[in-house]
Amino acid sequence: MKTELKSFQLPDEKGYFGPYGGSFVPPQLQGVLDEITQAYMEIKDDEQFLTELHALYKHYVGRPSPIFHARSLSEKMGGAQIYLKREDLNHTGAHKINHCLGQALLAKKMGKQTLIAETGAGQHGVALATAAALVGLKCDIYMGEVDIAKEKPNVIRMKILGARVISVTRGTKTLKDAVDEAFEAYLGDPITQFYAIGSVVGPHPFPMMVRDFQSIVGREARQQFREMTGSLPDNLVACVGGGSNAMGLFTAFLDDEEVLIYGVEPSGLSLREGEHAATLTLGKPGVLHGFKSYLLQDEKGNPLKVYSVASGLDYPGVGPQHSLLKDLERVTYVTAGDSEAIDAFFDLSRFEGIIPALESAHAVAFALKLAGKLEKDKTILVNLSGRGDKDIDYVAETYGKDYGVV
Amino acid sequence: MIADAIKNKTKAVIPYITAGLPGMDATGEIIRSLRAAGAAAIEIGLPFSDPMADGPVLQKASHLALKNGFTLEGLMEHLGDWTTSIDIPLIVMSYINPLMRRGIGETLSRFRDRGVQGVIIPDLPSDAREIHALCRDIGIDLIRLVAPTTTLQRQEEVISQCSGFVYAVSVKGVTGVRQCLPGEVARQVQGIKAMTDLPVCIGFGISTAEQVNDMLAFADGVIVGSHLMERIMGDPNPVIAAHDTLRELIGPGIESIR
Ligand SMILES: Cc1ncc(COP(=O)(O)O)c(C=O)c1O
Repeated sequence: MKTELKSFQLPDEKGYFGPYGGSFVPPQLQGVLDEITQAYMEIKDDEQFLTELHALYKHYVGRPSPIFHARSLSEKMGGAQIYLKREDLNHTGAHKINHCLGQALLAKKMGKQTLIAETGAGQHGVALATAAALVGLKCDIYMGEVDIAKEKPNVIRMKILGARVISVTRGTKTLKDAVDEAFEAYLGDPITQFYAIGSVVGPHPFPMMVRDFQSIVGREARQQFREMTGSLPDNLVACVGGGSNAMGLFTAFLDDEEVLIYGVEPSGLSLREGEHAATLTLGKPGVLHGFKSYLLQDEKGNPLKVYSVASGLDYPGVGPQHSLLKDLERVTYVTAGDSEAIDAFFDLSRFEGIIPALESAHAVAFALKLAGKLEKDKTILVNLSGRGDKDIDYVAETYGKDYGVV
Repeated sequence: MIADAIKNKTKAVIPYITAGLPGMDATGEIIRSLRAAGAAAIEIGLPFSDPMADGPVLQKASHLALKNGFTLEGLMEHLGDWTTSIDIPLIVMSYINPLMRRGIGETLSRFRDRGVQGVIIPDLPSDAREIHALCRDIGIDLIRLVAPTTTLQRQEEVISQCSGFVYAVSVKGVTGVRQCLPGEVARQVQGIKAMTDLPVCIGFGISTAEQVNDMLAFADGVIVGSHLMERIMGDPNPVIAAHDTLRELIGPGIESIR
């Protein structure tokens, strides 16, 4: 257990993954980030901390999450065997709880009073509100007005859990703007608040810390898959918004050269400007929200409008380690659009009885395409990062007619 | 020389204005009116969509200026005229991402070619030795920010990569909120002065002549941003508003133009 969170050399001590990452923040914030880094470095290999965290993973989250062989869907595609890492079965319904518990415990240890965060689909917000309730901290969640309308059940969930949900009305009223407002609130009081960021993004140490907390997913999967099939998966697939569920699955497999890895970005309505959020596919290196990474930006250096049917993927940036993995060609970044994701949402529901989150449906969509091109003895492991309960109203309203729901 | 311009002034006040608000021509006129009102140097902020270090007033200014069609290329056309129309240093404040679009070196060289003497990048990482070396080669001052929460070790790092002046942030949060007490600021400035001969200027949240006087008792200069922009944005005649606001801050009795 002691070496569990340790075995990756990146980032360097300044938070760089090759040329990406770092800490591009005003000096008012750097002091408190240094404190968080220091506190995290102290606990990350601490036996007592890890025992506490892993007890929660087991008894509270329900880890390890199972791996399920989606036989009917594999059969339908007539190619490779599709397996699902069932993060959707976690308490609160997504992988986000993994890094929320870690960050909440750390914040508590540092004597903070309030956890704050942005949320897109509301999954991170719900998970953080849950963790805050569990460890006894206040919780403020910043969420775009557009996403609040789209993800009502999660908004209500957060409020039931005792969190404040602050509606963000600036800009496009979605995830990027929620990050802006959460950072502003954090700068207003970095002493009593702890910004528990929702993905592997932001300034150092967040990309490292969130990845470390999420990497339990891949470590479990590696062992489980071996036990089930006798070997490692031939392919890994995960959706990429900020990139936390993807880093969670990928990290334990990065050294396994024979395992091909795919990150799926949302191509939304099309790959035309403003109609997608395919950051690694179409972005250029830049700095936003305190870190350097690929970024969808205009020629003036302002972030572009982004769009995806999945609120949790709707972000013009991406975690810095993904940028490095792209440049190193260790991970192949591909896209799936709204309509493919909706098809996959219904396919998984109707062939396997599993309603996926719209975010995760992007990963499923690509996996289906990939499976069709591969032999039957090949395997694909998909990170099913969340369940779709939060999305059913929106899907029924927007696409229900086409799929016989309404 | 920025350092000299500050040290040679009995009351060094550096106004901050957002470029392109209400328009590029107005910015030029405001710059000249601020010079006439006795500014020691002028800081112009380049609007950015996600200005992480700015409070509500400067955020609004940024967004309005972008909406009015501000572009870096448009700015480049005016900068030369602006710097030649005043005999005090012009300093550019910009978040790092817009500067990176054509390469930081090229962009800073173009500023320098147009007479800009210094640059402030609020979201520069504290170890910025490459950019510091670049600025030195180009011949433009890299003014660095130090906050009350900056650790001693980081202060040393930042100040060793700083020229022109040290910008002491006097708030614990963003511009316009969470003001530090004068005693805290005095200690902060004394700490910085023990490390460097560069002038130390205080900024963030200064809005009255009294504050200016208090701060100048121990600092070499003050920067006034949000208060000035609020007045500029709220007045039908921004050029006169800018002039009058700065005059009020510098205060009566003291000869402001040497
Ligand atoms: C279920 C689910 N999957 C994926 C994501 C995307 O985030 P990330 O790329 O950090 O995993 C979200 C974000 O809200 C989510 O709720």
